[in-house]
Amino acid sequence: MGNKQTTFTDEQLEAYQDCTFFTRKEVLRLHGRYRELAPHLVPLDFTNNPDIKVPLTLIVTMPELKENPFRDRIVETFSEDGHGNLSFNDFVDMFSALCETSPRELKTIYAFKIYDFNRDNFICKEDLRKTLNKLTKGELTPEEVTLVCDKAVEEADLDGDSKLSFSDFENMISKAPDFLSNFHIRI
Amino acid sequence: MCGQASHLLYLPQSEPHQQDLEEQHLLQISRSGVRVASKVRCKVGYFDSVCGSNLSQKLKLLRWWRCLLTLVLYEGRRLGFGHLLLKRKCREKKMEAHPTVNFMRLLSEESTHSSLSSDSCEYYQTEIFDQLPSIQASRPDQNTQGNWETHQGGPETGESHGHLSRGQKDKASTQPLRNMVMCIQGKRDARDRRKMQISNIGFWESWRRSQSINRKRFWAQMRGALLGLLPWQRTLHAIEGRFGVGVKAYFVFLRYLIYLNLLHCAFIGGFILGPTAFYGRCNSSEPLKFGGNDSVLDFFLGSGYLDRSPVFFGFYTRGSLNLLCLNTPLLYLAGILTILFLSLIMVVRRTIVGYKHTWMLGKRYSMNVSYKIFCGWDFTIQDPASATLKCSFIRNDLKLFLEEQSFSLRKAQRTLGQKARLYLLRFVLNLLVLSLLGGAFYLICFATEWSQSESGHHWLVSLVLQYLPPITITFVNLVLPHIFRKISSFEDYSFTTQVNVTLVRSIFLKLASLGIYLFFFFITIAEHQQCRENKIGREMYKLCIFNFLATFCNAFLLNYPRKLVQEKYPSSLLARLSGKQRFLIPFNVLDLVYSQTVSWVGVFYCPLLPLIGTVTLMAMFYIKKFTVLRCCVAEQRMFRASSSSVLFHFMLLLGLLMASVTIGFNLYQQEVTQNITSSCGPFGNGETVFNVMGVCVDSLPSLAQSTLRYLASEAFALPLILAEVIILTSYVSRGRANQKAIERLKDMLVMSSSDKRFLVKQHATMLRRKKTLTDRVRSAPSEEDANLKPPSTQSHPSVRPVHSQTSA
Repeated sequence: MGNKQTTFTDEQLEAYQDCTFFTRKEVLRLHGRYRELAPHLVPLDFTNNPDIKVPLTLIVTMPELKENPFRDRIVETFSEDGHGNLSFNDFVDMFSALCETSPRELKTIYAFKIYDFNRDNFICKEDLRKTLNKLTKGELTPEEVTLVCDKAVEEADLDGDSKLSFSDFENMISKAPDFLSNFHIRI
Repeated sequence: MCGQASHLLYLPQSEPHQQDLEEQHLLQISRSGVRVASKVRCKVGYFDSVCGSNLSQKLKLLRWWRCLLTLVLYEGRRLGFGHLLLKRKCREKKMEAHPTVNFMRLLSEESTHSSLSSDSCEYYQTEIFDQLPSIQASRPDQNTQGNWETHQGGPETGESHGHLSRGQKDKASTQPLRNMVMCIQGKRDARDRRKMQISNIGFWESWRRSQSINRKRFWAQMRGALLGLLPWQRTLHAIEGRFGVGVKAYFVFLRYLIYLNLLHCAFIGGFILGPTAFYGRCNSSEPLKFGGNDSVLDFFLGSGYLDRSPVFFGFYTRGSLNLLCLNTPLLYLAGILTILFLSLIMVVRRTIVGYKHTWMLGKRYSMNVSYKIFCGWDFTIQDPASATLKCSFIRNDLKLFLEEQSFSLRKAQRTLGQKARLYLLRFVLNLLVLSLLGGAFYLICFATEWSQSESGHHWLVSLVLQYLPPITITFVNLVLPHIFRKISSFEDYSFTTQVNVTLVRSIFLKLASLGIYLFFFFITIAEHQQCRENKIGREMYKLCIFNFLATFCNAFLLNYPRKLVQEKYPSSLLARLSGKQRFLIPFNVLDLVYSQTVSWVGVFYCPLLPLIGTVTLMAMFYIKKFTVLRCCVAEQRMFRASSSSVLFHFMLLLGLLMASVTIGFNLYQQEVTQNITSSCGPFGNGETVFNVMGVCVDSLPSLAQSTLRYLASEAFALPLILAEVIILTSYVSRGRANQKAIERLKDMLVMSSSDKRFLVKQHATMLRRKKTLTDRVRSAPSEEDANLKPPSTQSHPSVRPVHSQTSA
């Protein structure tokens, strides 16, 4: 049937199928999307694992990410170099972790990484402030932002260090009713 | 004056001989600390082998802390006690006149401004922080995961690496590859490693694994297909995008009610319509034909043609299905009871699913703001317009929260005079509400009485008279809730409370008006009427039809013209008076719940009411969709839906209760007053429900008979109630004990966490001092003594020390 594609070897496709939540067809479709972003950069033939990275500025133009206020952070979290340049592996990994069939635990871990702007494994008040400003596009006054951040930390912080560690975050998310339905990207 | 209290780790600058004493004291403690540490190490080894992973994990942590403690003490001893003190400069900044208080504060609030470490670096940037076991366990990065995979059966990898307990390690190696938090290359390596293992597993195991993978894929596909089959998904998605989650929840509830009514129809078809269709009715019943006196009006009035049709109770008589225990009357009763029972189960389940978390766990767990921030954004949004809308929704939610905060602040600041005036105002307004309610009920009674006067009127007048009670009830139910909403805005409640208070009053209005109407019927209806059940069924039918007509007219004769006026003449007086239309979710949901209650109350007398309900609900979906999408703008103020949904479910339960009470009362009346020979329906010809059931029970084998008799007697009911009370009490007390345990554990967590921070900071401070000291010793040996001056006043706020001795 459609086995005559030369983008990936069978072995590569099986590996993708086992390591992500995508089927072979979806992986090929993702490759098409990846290539669309930078056709001159991304080769058609991936059988010998070329080391290509698409820069951040191109990735955030994708329609799935364009309107998301956290698009920069999402791409940075999944990029190996930390600056948002995604190789194809990172690209597939990102959409696999955020797809609908991805389990809650995995999404919680990645959500924590995304909201942790300074990457110190804590969501401190500064991180919260940045999150809130991105979310409301700066329409709240600074005092309101401070009030809201204080309340959020007060609600979720269990061990009293006025920061959210991963276990605080996980505990809070586990009670959130619509985390799973909101935190996924359909591609 | 320097402080007099001494502490484990804090010592005042004192005279030399005292210094010696303190030094010895510390030495003892540090030695004992070392001893304790070694003891703990032995214990850990023991527990590891005997008990399990969790306990040994905790003990390892304990051992760490003790080691750290001894380290700190040892270092302190070496450096000399003066350098355990804060730098004087730092202390002088926080000088307060507390001459006697010098305990270390270990509470969490203090930890971020801890006066211990003079340097301002964060505690999690210290070297030792990365080596703490809890930090290692929460960072499953690539290396450690790789290590677990390779060292699977091997010994533990020492203290400095990840301390996952045995259970977690096992899980890590059998976790599906997709769920691991690694980049794809890491997962590929893990996969290759596992493949090498798989070849050792054997044919059977690998076959089972592949089968389970295929099964999971199949179920995921089925679920996806089923979700796609749900009707109106795209409409709901569009509505959510434009109006938010609240309005979508209304439509989801509407769809749920449609399913419920369809289920009822299925039951009625099986229990009631089916037997009648197959086995026919008794010979004396009239055939169903459009007769001479019938007209189209019958469809509105429920008389004439409709009176003889399957719509009402009177149609179903005992047909040829006439066995002792399997006959039409019993099937009819069984059908109705099944419907009510199933509805009860579904409503209770929906209630429980709705407020399991919020109610039981108390105020501390209200997580509204954190949910909004972290789960508020819908990542599937691709359209700029809906993105802007979502932003404004989130902003409005947060503004509502801020408003509630400022309201509670204002409330706390009310003076006594203000409070008194407010309560007086509320009392007066409540009296006003009560009088409005009383007036409404009187109006309904009056309308019902007037409609009973049958005499030869023109057909239109007679139609209006017949419909007068439903018209009154619907009118009252339409107008009064808005008046209540206006009243509650004067009572100075927070927005959510305002909505809930209005809802409570409206629910009371609707249920009580229905109740009064039914009560009127049961009491005053003439006893020798031909077919009483049909009459009641007719009223319910009329109510249902009129509700639907009112919704229809409301949408097309009120909302749409209003919107046209707004669009074409926005500056006219009318437009300015009426304002922009908003979809008021609470009132609309209340309408739905009310119509469902009417359907439940009337199902015994009018078995096709669920079918009518299904059709009207489907039509209402499209009408409301038109109203929302074409005529309304998005609501700016959101209310907290969770507390209101409790009220809605409560009203559903009350509606069910009213339905069962009505049926029970009717049957009881039938039983008691024997001269009401209901000459219609399945229980016609002098039979009552209890007669029919008695006949059936008598035909059963004697064992079943005696069991049933026992179950229906008081000797069974009383122990049952007693047992329920005991079980409930045990659950409630268990819940309370769990709550207390949760509070204790939370306190413990806060304490341990601040202990950890304290120790880490102390360690970091001391290391740094050591470094600066060695630097200084090399450069300027004479400067050191200049710093050893006693601090003038101690300024530690006091509270819980670990060990302390006061020396006055």
